[in-house]
Amino acid sequence: MTPVTRDLVVELVHVGKWYGAFHALRDVSLGVARGETVAICGPSGSGKSTLIRCVNGLERHQEGEIRVAGTALGSDGSGVEEVRRRTGMVFQSFNLFPHLSVLDNLTLGPIYAAGEAADRAGRRALALLDRVGIADQAAKFPGQLSGGQQQRVAIARALMREPEVMLFDEPTSSLDPERVQEVLAVMEELAAGGMTMLVVTHEMGFIRRIADLVVFMDQGEVVEAAPPALFFAQTHTERARAFLGRVMHL
Amino acid sequence: MATGTAACRSFAIAGTGAIRPPPPARRGTLGWLRANLFATPLDGAVTLALAAAIAWLAPKALAWAVLDAVWWAPDGRACRDAAGACWAVITEKHRLILFGTYPYAEQWRGALVVLLFVAMLAASAGPWLAARAKLWGWAATALAILVLMLGGVPGLEPVGTHLWGGLPLTIVIFIGTVAGGMPLAVLLALARQSELPILRALAVGVIEVVRGLPLLAVLFVASLIFPLFVPVELQIDKLLRAEIGMIIFFGAYAAEIVRGGLQAVAAGQREAAAALGLGYWPRTRLVVLPQALATVVPPLLGDVIRAFKNTTYVAILGLFDVLGATKVALDDPAWSRHAAEAYLFIFLLYLVFCLAFSRWGMAVERRLARRRRG
Repeated sequence: MTPVTRDLVVELVHVGKWYGAFHALRDVSLGVARGETVAICGPSGSGKSTLIRCVNGLERHQEGEIRVAGTALGSDGSGVEEVRRRTGMVFQSFNLFPHLSVLDNLTLGPIYAAGEAADRAGRRALALLDRVGIADQAAKFPGQLSGGQQQRVAIARALMREPEVMLFDEPTSSLDPERVQEVLAVMEELAAGGMTMLVVTHEMGFIRRIADLVVFMDQGEVVEAAPPALFFAQTHTERARAFLGRVMHL
Repeated sequence: MATGTAACRSFAIAGTGAIRPPPPARRGTLGWLRANLFATPLDGAVTLALAAAIAWLAPKALAWAVLDAVWWAPDGRACRDAAGACWAVITEKHRLILFGTYPYAEQWRGALVVLLFVAMLAASAGPWLAARAKLWGWAATALAILVLMLGGVPGLEPVGTHLWGGLPLTIVIFIGTVAGGMPLAVLLALARQSELPILRALAVGVIEVVRGLPLLAVLFVASLIFPLFVPVELQIDKLLRAEIGMIIFFGAYAAEIVRGGLQAVAAGQREAAAALGLGYWPRTRLVVLPQALATVVPPLLGDVIRAFKNTTYVAILGLFDVLGATKVALDDPAWSRHAAEAYLFIFLLYLVFCLAFSRWGMAVERRLARRRRG
């Protein structure tokens, strides 16, 4: 691999992390090139979420280097503001602000973290809500929306800061099966529009269609990484085969 | 159609339910009586016993409080021969009870203070004002009340705090306690959750020490012991010292309630706000606190009500709140026999205010719940 020649938006080099004595991330190296979608899968407890949360500093890594959009994220938390300004994150449990309307959920960050004028932020928010197909819900509160709608609001909220990379941490795992597709459709449209994405997911259909690279993690380390066609055709390791066998039978 | 087979003895039957209205509930007065008062023989017995007690007591109470009562007796003589209550003690002494030792000619200012307070309370009880408007409204009201009480501006005689008394004093102390104590409570609660060990220890220390003391002791420390250590030129007003004691006491108790609210806010909320680039204070002010405080409205309101009632403690420092002023009024030998009536009046006064706070809190709670549920 020659990472210097590529335009990498996210770059992890030999990243290590421990929770107490538990080794949560073991020597993880990974790059996400501009405009590409990298999917991370693996059994629960494999460190996928920890990894993606390290990328925008929600968790601190202890070893190795993390660079996001040209900014180095230090293990002491340095650079975290700059990194968060350039990343958008979507969580498994949506984490919308229940006391704010959908519109206010979108404009809170731009107004109070970036100092954008409220009316301008409002106009952009409506445009984004329209893009994810729920402009008519702008005045409602998150509790009044379905799970799929909430997650689409969360995606729009993350897009408000015009991030260089979108981080998705199991975005469809807490949705009813019939709601999964509407969220995946929004993500596919984003990917098609050239967004750089790092996605923790078990949606194998989504991975097959959209991902440029599949990363399989287990016990805190990257076990395999390959383009989806190759990954699904011939997994090299027993661990990946066992995992695929389990999730494909869902 | 039954779908059970020999191999499987479980079954389900498909498609026999048409959409129908719900069955009629038991209605009418008789239905209500039976369900609520005579549901079991024991219920019936309790109902009858209570009804008998009320039937026996109510006429006596009515006779004492209304029929045989004396409403007006300039020198108290008419009360001496009356069988009923002597409400004349209130008609005669209401200025002293309500305004204490505040200069007689200036007592309209105290009346205005009470009116302002009640009006603002009513204005902020309903959904018709935005939260921000309410906050500014209260700030303006508090300022207006201070100016009215203190005077010293053109058109208003200055009145020293040692002359303040009665209901306006109660209201001033109450507003000061909540206005100062609520921010203190939030800061203490946040400090207690801080990542800095020193800050955390300091908050725990203040909260535990103050909660381990009776309010009376806190007030004694603030008003009697504290001045011993401070040079004369730095001595501050007695009312202000009492107020500071009240604020610290309120803050320490409310801090633990606010902490409960903070803990109830899901970690994902802070993370989502952080991921949006919001720093600690914006994230706390805009995302965490609104949710934390909304969940603890009922217990917090309990503290607010207690703060209103605790204003009576300042009497031991020689400040005459409405209860203290009533005591002074009863020092008049012509009226000292009618303490029961005077205190009953004070009782009703407190009841009205505290009930108003309760109802207000319930309305706030309902509004918040409706918004969350949608």
